[in-house]
Amino acid sequence: MTDWFVFRDDEERAIATFMSRVANVRIPDPESPTLSSNTLWWKAKLLDRWEAERRAQWPLDIMQPIEIVGGLVAAGLLLYWSLPYLL
Amino acid sequence: MTEREFGDAYVRWSSSLRKYVYRIVGSASDVDDIVQEAFLRTLRADLQGDDEEQWRRYLYRVATNLIVDQWRRQKHERGSETMHEPASPPPHYEDEATVAKVFEELKPRERALLWLAYVEGESHEEIAASLGVGRRSVRVMLIRAKRHLRDLLQARGIFAKS
Repeated sequence: MTDWFVFRDDEERAIATFMSRVANVRIPDPESPTLSSNTLWWKAKLLDRWEAERRAQWPLDIMQPIEIVGGLVAAGLLLYWSLPYLL
Repeated sequence: MTEREFGDAYVRWSSSLRKYVYRIVGSASDVDDIVQEAFLRTLRADLQGDDEEQWRRYLYRVATNLIVDQWRRQKHERGSETMHEPASPPPHYEDEATVAKVFEELKPRERALLWLAYVEGESHEEIAASLGVGRRSVRVMLIRAKRHLRDLLQARGIFAKS
């Protein structure tokens, strides 16, 4: 059980050496991200604004079908109560 | 965070994050997307305080989550048996391409753990914060990752089995 957690010194060294080699392996275009920090900043601001608009719009979106249903129910009741006078 | 502070953070961390993402993902095609998305989400998270380390850890955590999500999608699309299974092990690891290839044979989570521990020099606590896992789990996960890497290196005759 104890052995499972223990690494020999040469194993530790080999892992550390390997990882330092991994860290030094070159990657393509290490310094050239496609978007600048400025673009990312404004993109974040735009996304924040859209989200704020969505949050503000949400009660209106919810109310719209409720208004339509309420209007139809009111029209139906009005017609029902008016029927005796119309006939 | 102001625009200028974000610009400074971007200059400071983008290069090392790109390297980290590239090593974990193993291909260049998605690196920029992941790095940009990680910066965008970290910026939008609006972290309180001026703690740079907290900001950096959150950035790495978001990037790691994006990598794991992508890995799961690819695994689902291609089938798990086709992922990270080398056709034949290279005989040694003397050149850069082989070093990268050996590293790619580890699971993404193992790569992330080893990178954060050895390259970024993070403590178990910092790794736990970066990866969003429990501090106690990190120790076991790191040992598993090291054992896996040790086995891969032993298979290539880098050092003898005990």
